[in-house]
Amino acid sequence: MDNDAILSIRGIDKEYPGVHALDNIAFDIYKNTIHCIIGENGSGKSTFIKILTGVVAKTRGAIVFNNKPFDPKNVKDAKSHGIVALYQELNVVNDLTVEENLTLGREKHRFGMIQKDDSLDRIVSILKELDKTIRLNMAVGELSTAQKQIIEIVKAFSIDCKVLVMDEPTASLSEEETSKIFEVVKKLKANGMTVIYISHKLGEVFEIGDFVTVFRDGKVIATKTVQEINKECKGDMSDACLELVKMMLGRVVIESYIPSKTDYSEKILEVKNLNTDLLKNVNFDLFKGEILGFYGLVGAGKTEVARVLFGIDVYSGEIRVKGKIARFKRVGDALENGIAMIPEERRQDGVFGKLSIKNNIPMMKIKSILKNGIISRQKENKIADDYIKMLSIAARDREQKAAFLSGGNQQKVVISKCLNRESDVLLMDEPTRGIDVGAKLEIHNITRNLANQGKGVIVFSSELPEILHLCDRIVFMNSGRVSTIIKNGNNLNNDDIMKIIADGERKYE
Amino acid sequence: MFKIVGRFDQQKIVLVSVILVITLAMSILSAKFFNIDNLVNILLQIAPLIIVASAANLLMITGNFDLSVGSVFAFCAIMHAYMTKNVLPIGWSILFTCVLAILWGASNGIMVGILNVNPFIATLGSMYAARGFAYLIARWDGGANISAGLPPDFSDFGRTNVFGIVPIIIIFMIVAVAVFIFIEKKTVLGRYSYSIGCNKSASKLSGINVPRVLIIIYMIVGLLAGLCGVIQVSRVGSAYPNIGTGMEFDVLLAIFLGGTSMLGGEGSTFGMILGAFIVGLVANGLNLLNVPYFYQEVTKGALLIIAVLADQMLRRRKQPGGA
Repeated sequence: MDNDAILSIRGIDKEYPGVHALDNIAFDIYKNTIHCIIGENGSGKSTFIKILTGVVAKTRGAIVFNNKPFDPKNVKDAKSHGIVALYQELNVVNDLTVEENLTLGREKHRFGMIQKDDSLDRIVSILKELDKTIRLNMAVGELSTAQKQIIEIVKAFSIDCKVLVMDEPTASLSEEETSKIFEVVKKLKANGMTVIYISHKLGEVFEIGDFVTVFRDGKVIATKTVQEINKECKGDMSDACLELVKMMLGRVVIESYIPSKTDYSEKILEVKNLNTDLLKNVNFDLFKGEILGFYGLVGAGKTEVARVLFGIDVYSGEIRVKGKIARFKRVGDALENGIAMIPEERRQDGVFGKLSIKNNIPMMKIKSILKNGIISRQKENKIADDYIKMLSIAARDREQKAAFLSGGNQQKVVISKCLNRESDVLLMDEPTRGIDVGAKLEIHNITRNLANQGKGVIVFSSELPEILHLCDRIVFMNSGRVSTIIKNGNNLNNDDIMKIIADGERKYE
Repeated sequence: MFKIVGRFDQQKIVLVSVILVITLAMSILSAKFFNIDNLVNILLQIAPLIIVASAANLLMITGNFDLSVGSVFAFCAIMHAYMTKNVLPIGWSILFTCVLAILWGASNGIMVGILNVNPFIATLGSMYAARGFAYLIARWDGGANISAGLPPDFSDFGRTNVFGIVPIIIIFMIVAVAVFIFIEKKTVLGRYSYSIGCNKSASKLSGINVPRVLIIIYMIVGLLAGLCGVIQVSRVGSAYPNIGTGMEFDVLLAIFLGGTSMLGGEGSTFGMILGAFIVGLVANGLNLLNVPYFYQEVTKGALLIIAVLADQMLRRRKQPGGA
C-alpha cells in the first residue's frame, strides 16, 4: 500500500434548490486500495460519485487527483483522466458479442468498414485474467450479471482506468457470483487499480475493504481503515458491524411513539413460510388496529413482501386473511381480500398525473362513484371534497391535475385512493420518501388514525426514525429474511436497535 | 382555473376557427361549395370516418391504436355481399358479419392486451390478413369483386332514409357519437380508458383489469368498422375488396387533429369530430377546385404534421416541471 493519496477530497459542497446534498465533505483515497463508502439512502454517496465522475458539478470545494486539481466537466472528461464508474444498470449491449461490446465506440474503421486490429489482444489478455470462462464470440445476453460486470470492468481497464467506482455491484447477485466479483476486485487491486466500492452490505466492507468512509445526511462521519475497526473490536465481527451501523444511522431518538389501540386477540393477517426468489421463510402476523413496521437496508426484501401481499409477485407459502387462507394471483385478488397498497414509486405506480384529483381518488373503487351503473358527478365531487378536507390536500380545487401538485400532496391523493377502497389492511411502501417534513407528520397522523379505526397498517420504510416513531411492532429484515420482530416502546434503547440491525447484517452474510 | 379549462378550449377554438376559415375560403373560391347538396355530401363522406374514429379515439385514449380498421371494413363489406348473394338472408348475414368483425377486434385486443404485442405490429398484421381474406372471398364468388347477382334488398338497407329524408348512416353516426360521448364522460369503461392511457402501471395497481378493457375496446372498434363496411357496401350496391384502403390513416388523422395524444390519457370525442370535419372539408374543397388527387394526399400529410407540432408547442408551455 503506497502512502500517497490518489484522490484528495477537500471540502466539497453540493446544493440543490432547497437541499444541501453534500456538506463540506473531506477525506483522502489512497492509491491502490479498496475504499468502501457506506451510508443510507439520501446520505450523499451518489451525489459524491456523480461529482467525481463529472455527472454534476460541485457547488464549492476542490478535488485533487494525482496531485493536480481535478474538475471534470462531463463524464467523458472524467473518463479521459482515468475515473470510470460502474453503475447498477449495466451499460452493455445484449445483442452483440463479447468482442463487439469490448470494442464498442472505439472500432477502427476504413470507409465505414470495421477493421480488426491488435489492440484487441491486450483487452483479451485482461479478460482472460479476470474470467477464463468468457469467450469472445459469446453473445453478451447469455452471460450472467456478474460476467456482464466483468465485461464492463474490462472495458474500463482498456481505456486505462486508474480509479474504478463500483456502485453496489453485488446488489442483485447470488452468493456464488458475489464471490466471483470479489475475486475480480482483488485482482484489480493487485494490478494497481484503486477501487471505490459502494455497498449496503456491511459484511462486504470487512471482506474486501481497506478503508471505509461513512456518509450520513450529506456529511462524512468518519473515514477509518478496516484494520483499525477490527482492532477496536478485538476481531469480533458483530461489534465491528455495530460500529458501522452506529456511524451510519447516528443516534435515533425514540420519543414520540404513541401506542395504537391494538386488539392483540384478533389477527387480520397471518403470513407463514413465505418464499420467493428473494424472500426466504418470512413469517409474521398483523393484528387488528396495529401499525406493523418493516425495516431493513436497501435490498433487505421489504418491497418484495409488500409486492407479494398485493398480488404482484409469485410466491409460495401461506397467507391467511382474518383466518381464511387466501391465494393472491393478481392485484384484484388482494383488493378483494381487503388489502390495499400505497406503492413506493409514487409517480410511476401511484398517481394519474394527467387526471384531476377528483378522477384519481375513486380509481381503486370505481363503484363508489356509480349511481345505477353510471358515473355520478355529485358522488364523485363529494368524495373528492371529503378527502381533500380530511387529509387537507393543498390544491386549487378538485379539478386540478395531480401532476401539478407537490410531492406530499400527490402522496395524499394516492392515500385517498387507497382509503376510498375501505380495505382492512393498508400496505404503505416508503410512504414519506421525498416529502417535506410538514406533510410527513400529517401522513404519520393519518396512519395513526387508521390504526385507531381498527385497520391493520404495515409500513415499509428504510427510515429508522419513521419506523420507531410510528410502529407498534417492528420486523427487521436482512437479505430476504426476517431477523427479529420486536415490540416498540419505552424500554427500547438506541444501542439495542443498533445491535439488532448489526446482528442481522452479520447473520446472513 | 384558466389553465385547465384553457387547454381544452384553446385547442377547440383553434379547430373551430380552422373549420370556419376553410368554409369561408371555399365559399369564395367555389360557387358549388356552400349549398345544401354539397354539405350533405360532405356529411355522407365523413360519416363512416366519424363512426369508426369515435371508437378508435377511445382506443387512442388508452394509448393504443388499430391499423386494421380499413381492412376489416372491406372484409365485412365483401363478406356481407358474399353471404347475402349465396348463403343467408340479409338480416342473418348482417348479424354474422358483425360477429366476425368483433372477432377481428378480439384478436387484436388479445394480441395487444394479453400477449403484449406492440399495437403497431399486431394491427399491421391484421390489416394485411383481413385485406387478404377480402380478396379471397371475392375469388370464392368467382370474380375480382361482387357486383352482379345481389338480391334487391341488399341495397335497400344502406339506402334507407329514416323519416323519409335522413340516410341511415347519418342516424348511425349520430348514435355512435352520442354513445361515445356518454362512454367517455359517464361510464367505467371511459374512465378506465383514460387511466390506462395516463398510467398503465398505476391502473394495474389500482386493480383495473387492463387486458380486459383493451380487448373490449378493440372489439368495439372492430364492430363499428365492420358495420360501416356493411352499410357502405349496401349504399354503393356492389362490393370491391379494395374499399376502405387508407381509412386507418384518415381515422388517425381525425383523432390527432382532434387533440388526442398518441401517448394516451387525454382527448375527447368532440375534438375528434372537429378533426374529422377538417379532413372532410379539405378533401371536398380540393375536389371542387379540381386539384389532382395526389395534391390532396400532400395536403393531408402537411395538415397532420402541422396539427401535431402545434399541439406539442401548446403542451410544452403547459407542462408542469419535471412531471
